[in-house]
Amino acid sequence: MKSLLRSMPLAALVLGALASVPAFAAKDVVFAVASTFTTTDPYDANDTLSQAMAKSFYEGLYGFDKDMKMIPVLAESYEASKDGLVYTIKLKKGIKFHDGTDFKADAVKANLDRVTNPDNKLKRFGLYNNNIAKTEVVDDYTARITLKTPFSPFINQLAHPSTVMISPTALKQYGNKDIAFHPVGTGPFKFVEWKQTDYLKVAKNENYWQKGLPKVDTILWKPVIDSNARAAVMQTGEAHFTYPLPYEQAEALKAKPELQVIAAPSIILRYLSMNTQQKPFDNPKVRQAIAYAINKEALSKVAFNGYATPAEGVAPQGVEYAVKIGQWPYDVAKAKQLMAEAGYPNGFETELWSAYNHTTAQKVTQFLQQQLQQIGIRTKITLLEAGQRVEKVESWQDPATAPVRLYYVGWSTSTGEADWALRPLLYGESWPPRLFNTAYYKNPKVDEDIKGAQLTTNSTEKAKLYKDAQETIWKDAPWAPLVVEKLLSAHNKKLSGVYVIPDASFNFTDIDLK
Amino acid sequence: MLQYLARRLLGLVPTLALVALLVFLFVHLLPGDPARLAAGPDATPETVALVRQDLGLDKPLPQQFLRFSTGILHGDFGRSLRTKRPVSTEIADRFMPTFWLTVAAMGWSVSIGMLIGVLSAVWRNRWPDRVGMTLAVSGISFPAFALGMVLMQIFAVQLNWLPTVGADTWRHYILPSLTLGAAVAAIMARFTRSSFVGILQEDYVRTARAKGLPESIVVVKHGLRNALIPVVTMMGLQFGFLLGGSIVVEVVFNWPGVGRLLVDAVDMRDYPVIQGLVLLFSLEFVLINLIVDVLYAVINPTIRYR
Repeated sequence: MKSLLRSMPLAALVLGALASVPAFAAKDVVFAVASTFTTTDPYDANDTLSQAMAKSFYEGLYGFDKDMKMIPVLAESYEASKDGLVYTIKLKKGIKFHDGTDFKADAVKANLDRVTNPDNKLKRFGLYNNNIAKTEVVDDYTARITLKTPFSPFINQLAHPSTVMISPTALKQYGNKDIAFHPVGTGPFKFVEWKQTDYLKVAKNENYWQKGLPKVDTILWKPVIDSNARAAVMQTGEAHFTYPLPYEQAEALKAKPELQVIAAPSIILRYLSMNTQQKPFDNPKVRQAIAYAINKEALSKVAFNGYATPAEGVAPQGVEYAVKIGQWPYDVAKAKQLMAEAGYPNGFETELWSAYNHTTAQKVTQFLQQQLQQIGIRTKITLLEAGQRVEKVESWQDPATAPVRLYYVGWSTSTGEADWALRPLLYGESWPPRLFNTAYYKNPKVDEDIKGAQLTTNSTEKAKLYKDAQETIWKDAPWAPLVVEKLLSAHNKKLSGVYVIPDASFNFTDIDLK
Repeated sequence: MLQYLARRLLGLVPTLALVALLVFLFVHLLPGDPARLAAGPDATPETVALVRQDLGLDKPLPQQFLRFSTGILHGDFGRSLRTKRPVSTEIADRFMPTFWLTVAAMGWSVSIGMLIGVLSAVWRNRWPDRVGMTLAVSGISFPAFALGMVLMQIFAVQLNWLPTVGADTWRHYILPSLTLGAAVAAIMARFTRSSFVGILQEDYVRTARAKGLPESIVVVKHGLRNALIPVVTMMGLQFGFLLGGSIVVEVVFNWPGVGRLLVDAVDMRDYPVIQGLVLLFSLEFVLINLIVDVLYAVINPTIRYR
């Protein structure tokens, strides 16, 4: 009763015209999430969660459905010029921002101009400024974007959850920084309030352009940091949906009849990168031996409680142009033989670092340590805390002295396309501190494929180049591919239509509460 | 007395200045580049440079310190690197929940703890003492996070009597304050007991009994007041610790307080917030110390400050 009373003034405010609907019919949904939001401005956010939450009130020109297939949202269609430099985008008509402004091509220009202007100092600046030369308004419902160099995955970038359309009127009114406290978009929900310490609340957009949506009145985004507390609020009914759910809690929640636990496929790949510039990892035989020595099935069971599957390629299935190569076999005899051929019959000592310091990473590294012991590789484990990781790995200036050797890390391909799965991690120019090629891997053939695929707009040609790149990388083994994670979430059976999509963002436009 | 207070308050200034300098140097010595952390995993070096400039971290260290300290003099503690909001707002938002939780926890734990301590001392080595001290040892030994999780499981999940997380109504305060206060109650009980046992052997207690005063007057009037001095010292210390925000309890119960803010800030290398919080904690300790000193004079009129 208490919570009902508290929600009444808000319900009255939100329902407005529907004031005759009794307050007890209000459908108020609560999402319990794992960390506090950094901002509501997707152009200034670097965490998936803040961007997922921002999808309450913001929409992009393109987006992803629950299976991570790209779909047009505010755009009607696009056309790329033959040389791959000019993208002409037709927009949907009759869409209004929450503040009443019509959604037109000037909004596209305002938003892209904002992020590509270095004076605005937005965290997503690099992603856009690298390729967008200029944005023009052709007519009210047509925008033209010109690139600096051909970049074939450009439409995927427009589908990335950070490329959203903010009302140009609101941008002018609140300015570059304050817009984060007054978000105005076209999305299914309007922003109500953000109490940084406690929650962020959004309410139904009565004039949403997709008729019949949204079906619920409000969503309360509540950060609950501790995973036990998150499991507890699901059991008491204080929250309707939670992600991520720790593996250890899955069984307990499955036993509850009113709850549903879902393990969704992801595009989050976990791998062990090896510094190919340093001895003994410069020898491909040593790297292959390490890949052979790890039992990936057992790893999924031991460290991930079964909520992971062995990796079957360089990029996980679900990423466009990912090639399924098959699991790297577990074969200790073969691994020993390779070690002997490489001149290390008795193994060697080395460092094993983990990019994370949570329990799962601890289990993974201990398991890897034990597996590598089988072929005589003795490892010293260090779980890096975020600051150490940045200092010792991500911003190490001189590749020749990089201290990283074996490095357990993961990657989520947030654009859903092979370019972002390969280029940041395996391209010859992506060595830290530029990007995240922690294997310091460089193969001219792979570099050519990646470069070539960026330039072509022909998708058969692209598929061929990416296939060649992935197969070459697989043979070179700069990584021991480990597992692809599953995303564990729980929701109350009364709530339908919420999905964790493969890049760990959420899809909740269709949610309904019984 | 007033003069003494004024002098003590003036003495605060150099202490806090020293703390400010140390804390500034300390946070800048933490490994990890905050600009890189803030820019996120898929940022290019150009973006990192932009972010660094935006956060004012591209300036030389002395210049940053100068800006930091002149800011403080104007009451400006800078802006959070993470949320871009002023540090003072960030802290103010979270201070009250921590403060009230501390008050709630101290309230019950000090009264119960002292009661157990007095009872244990009066019936020393008899069953009230045994029961009391068993409780106290359990209270000290049981880790707060485990206690919090057990309480939550029983009272929120199984019985559904109390809410799980949040800080909205008085009912939200029950479980976290029980968790937070358990150790304090235990410490207070043991402290009161040992101080009281000593007092009960003093000559003036024997005199009071010899005068034929009822035992209750002897205990409350002659014993308690004299036993209070060390207890009040301990109370002040505990209060200071709790005001710093119990990280464990605030994380377990999702309490929107300063403890969680500190964890978030250290994680993201949010320098201005860390500096602001440490300064606040030192200020709290110094002030509480001062209050404790004043309380001495109230409890024992023979103590005078000039």
